[in-house]
Amino acid sequence: MAHSDRPPHRRTTRSRLLAAGAAIALLAPLAACGSDDEGGTPTLNLYQFPVQDMQTVIDTCNQAAAGRYRIVYQVLPRAADDQRVQMVRRLAAEDDSMDILGLDVTWTQEFASANWIREFTGADKSEVENGTLAGPLASATYNDKLYAAPNNTNVQLLWYRKDLVPTPPRTWDEMIEASLRLKGEGKPYQVLTMGAQYEGLVVLFNNLVASAGGTVVSEDGKTAVMDAGTVKALEVMKRFATAGVTNASFTNSIEDDVRLAFQNGGGAFQLNWPYVYSALQSDAPELAPNVTWARYPSIDPGTPSRVTIGGSNLAVSRYSRHPAEAFDAVKCLRNAANQKFLAIKAGQPPTIESVYADPEMAQAYPMKQEILDELKDAAPRPLTPAYQNVSTVVAAQLSPPSAIDPQRTAAELKTSIQEAIDSKGVLP
Amino acid sequence: MPAKLKWGVLDAIVVVFALVPVLWIVSLSFKTTATLTDGNFIPREWTLDNYRTIFQTDQFVRALINSIGIALISTFIAVVLGTMAAYAISRLDFPGKGLLVGVSLLIAMFPQVSLVSPLFDIERRTGLFDTWPGLILPYITFALPLAIYTLSAFFKQIPWDLEKAAKMDGATQGEAFRKVIAPLAAPGVFTTAILVFIFCWNDFLFAISLTSTEQSRTVPVALSFFTGASQFEDPTGAISAAAVVITIPIIIFVLFFQKRIVAGLTSGAVKG
Amino acid sequence: MSISSTTPGSAAAGEQTVEETRPGTARTGHRRRKAPLSEGKKQERKLGWLLCAPAALVMVAVTAYPILYSFWLSLQRYDLKFPDERQFVWFENYVTVLTNGYWWTAFGVTMLITVVSVVVELVLGMGLALIMHRTLVGRGLVRTSALIPYGIVTVVAAFSWRYAWTPGTGYLANLVTPEGAPLTERASALAIIILAEIWKTTPFMALLLMAGLALVPDDLLKAASMDGAGWWQRFTKVMLPVMKPAILVALLFRTLDALRVFDNIYVLTAGANETSSVSMIAYNNLIRGLNLGIGSTMSVLIFVTVAIIAFVFVKLFGTAAPGSADEGRR
Repeated sequence: MAHSDRPPHRRTTRSRLLAAGAAIALLAPLAACGSDDEGGTPTLNLYQFPVQDMQTVIDTCNQAAAGRYRIVYQVLPRAADDQRVQMVRRLAAEDDSMDILGLDVTWTQEFASANWIREFTGADKSEVENGTLAGPLASATYNDKLYAAPNNTNVQLLWYRKDLVPTPPRTWDEMIEASLRLKGEGKPYQVLTMGAQYEGLVVLFNNLVASAGGTVVSEDGKTAVMDAGTVKALEVMKRFATAGVTNASFTNSIEDDVRLAFQNGGGAFQLNWPYVYSALQSDAPELAPNVTWARYPSIDPGTPSRVTIGGSNLAVSRYSRHPAEAFDAVKCLRNAANQKFLAIKAGQPPTIESVYADPEMAQAYPMKQEILDELKDAAPRPLTPAYQNVSTVVAAQLSPPSAIDPQRTAAELKTSIQEAIDSKGVLP
Repeated sequence: MPAKLKWGVLDAIVVVFALVPVLWIVSLSFKTTATLTDGNFIPREWTLDNYRTIFQTDQFVRALINSIGIALISTFIAVVLGTMAAYAISRLDFPGKGLLVGVSLLIAMFPQVSLVSPLFDIERRTGLFDTWPGLILPYITFALPLAIYTLSAFFKQIPWDLEKAAKMDGATQGEAFRKVIAPLAAPGVFTTAILVFIFCWNDFLFAISLTSTEQSRTVPVALSFFTGASQFEDPTGAISAAAVVITIPIIIFVLFFQKRIVAGLTSGAVKG
Repeated sequence: MSISSTTPGSAAAGEQTVEETRPGTARTGHRRRKAPLSEGKKQERKLGWLLCAPAALVMVAVTAYPILYSFWLSLQRYDLKFPDERQFVWFENYVTVLTNGYWWTAFGVTMLITVVSVVVELVLGMGLALIMHRTLVGRGLVRTSALIPYGIVTVVAAFSWRYAWTPGTGYLANLVTPEGAPLTERASALAIIILAEIWKTTPFMALLLMAGLALVPDDLLKAASMDGAGWWQRFTKVMLPVMKPAILVALLFRTLDALRVFDNIYVLTAGANETSSVSMIAYNNLIRGLNLGIGSTMSVLIFVTVAIIAFVFVKLFGTAAPGSADEGRR
């Protein structure tokens, strides 16, 4: 069979292909990743998760900069993990188009250790530290150096139905007993909180450990400790999971599942972040008047609870081409006025203490006193660059909480956490 | 007529199993945030808010345009290149044929999560990052193995001697190819086109890693940028509405092509 | 026309044999390796290379560096968080992963999901293909609606399943298990994951099988039924053999994809209760843990597993099915 005469249509296809290839080659240099400098004003790219009204804050700071720099908001995906992946990928590739990074509190140590963010020194450092709450500040520190400026923070509260429970329980045991009593009376009784195998479970564990006075990881972040306090925390966790007060989906619930379940009326208690308050007002207005808040339950009747700090920090990328301007921009973006604005508009609790005293905060944050009280005592999650590793192994070993055997789990966790810190072994 | 009834029942079963979960998504898209999780299949309160929200900014529309353009171009090029390669593999003999087939399967098998970071690096350095070609090239690459295999499988079944027979009957090479071979190749080509299009349309991993602005962000990635009222709230209603909207092009594409998959067996040309 | 071998690339060899028996061809097949290449042969090779070149070029240009880089990374201890500790460790990573319980649990789960979903999908897909192909009413409707599950963005579909199966918020949980939460128990969670996979990708199989069905010549079927063959016999002796190439492609690619299941598990259970797949733990190690060494090692191991299975498939399908009707098809 001779194939010397090719079917005509293939020839035109090939030339079409060549044309496409040429077009690609010509267009490639025109592609831009992120905004580039125009004229003389340096452009600072802010990579941050989506925040309502953030653009207003950015505009304010751009005006204040008066031509020294121009901040551009590059929005990252909604989910924290996706945000981290985006940033990590580019930092690992030494991308210089990122200047300011919005980091979750648990990533700061990791990024600092990987040498991806710049240290705050001198005047920048003192300006940031001045007036900022101690808890968030600790999360921005690595090896005694400040690597990020705390932007907003977050702590969980106890939300409860005051029509079912006139006085809030002070401790976990009290809460479980109150719940069981309601169960016996046939009323909504469940204690709703996050129990899926993810970061939220580690936050719950951390809350209990801190309230019990235990330590998971040593101060320098290099050794797994897992002392008696952690065993106590595991005991409380197990009791909670097996007492019959959780809802059926407890081990598959994340924040929003819990909020929705509570709004549907199934629970008497909810342990969740303050965002549920405004959602409750708009989604379930008949239920809202019956819901109020209190401090997170403690373990010991005499010792107030200590809870995990959430929130985010702003850092300057190591590969930024305009670090000096970036530091200035960061200081502006998270100053007291902007923190107040975002606190009221976007529901982000501020990290600067003086903002809480502002009268305008009272309406948006009726719970601000409880938040402030908890923030004063708050406990960060284990401060180690390998936090993601630690979190993954802890979540895996604590799931499901009903299978915890306090002594044995503590011993197993000690080994796994040490391996995670040393970056040995395999993550589940 | 009992035969029609039998087929009608079978059809109904298929449609129900295929579409009930889809209708659930549609129902979610019409629910208000308050009733989102009341567990009812049919919304108690209907609202068009979710659809209005996604079209409020041109972010979503821009993503739709990107998706349509990138998917169509990738599909077209992948099918063309795949057809050429499959034709060669199934009809011609040349050294390296087995190697090509093996290597293309290899490429399809490697976990894409590991390939994304090096690819990101390359694209950043060559300036392809966040551009249409930057997505089109990987899409073609990962669609080609499936395209080559599918098309080869179908090309092998074609009785190529018919081409010769047609020429002996007086047709030119071009006519012989067009009237005799092309209709028999059609099922394979259109099947491949549908599968490649759906792959490009729904891909998330490459799209989120190799784009960063609306310039080339596609729809699945745009979904991950939708925001709820706060950091913890998923905008489920808006996402469901967007999912419904982006399934429509697929439906159109498939409706258009599905007839042609079976239209291959025309009268006269094929005699077993 | 020979249908004896179904792998792409081997067809030409088959055709060579056919040509030998036809009068008038000038090719001497047996001795082609020893005889000098004829002009026609040379032309054929050139054409073959030319036609394959663009595809080969694109594939190699895009994936050569990433794949080789992954292999290279798997030989190193490299954690992005501790860049100073990077070192070359040869196959230590492989030992670490292959002796780790988490890996093997995930491996087992992945195998289970793959085998069950592929088998079920093959059967359902064949049935669906028959319906889509032969239905007398509402052809367009059935074909299009059957393909919609495959066309929906996986993550959205997974979310809708999650809502549906969560008690209180979804219709399915309330219907099937009013008491418990199926997503929180390992067995039921795995069943739900498999169900989600089957729902999503059966159309893929069905589409390929339907296109394969379209190639079965009606005359052959008529002849067989006139010879007294019942429906089942026509199916197994006439349709299946002709469809073998299509079945191979469908099975092969579906299996490759099933082995790398990620999205459905990620959304439905996030891997809780030991429902992680190998892709999920590779992702956790590579992206969460920023451990490029271990993550790349896992990718390579997944690749090797998939390659072995693909090899087995291709070998299995490569041999002629004994006693099939294609002997008569000349």
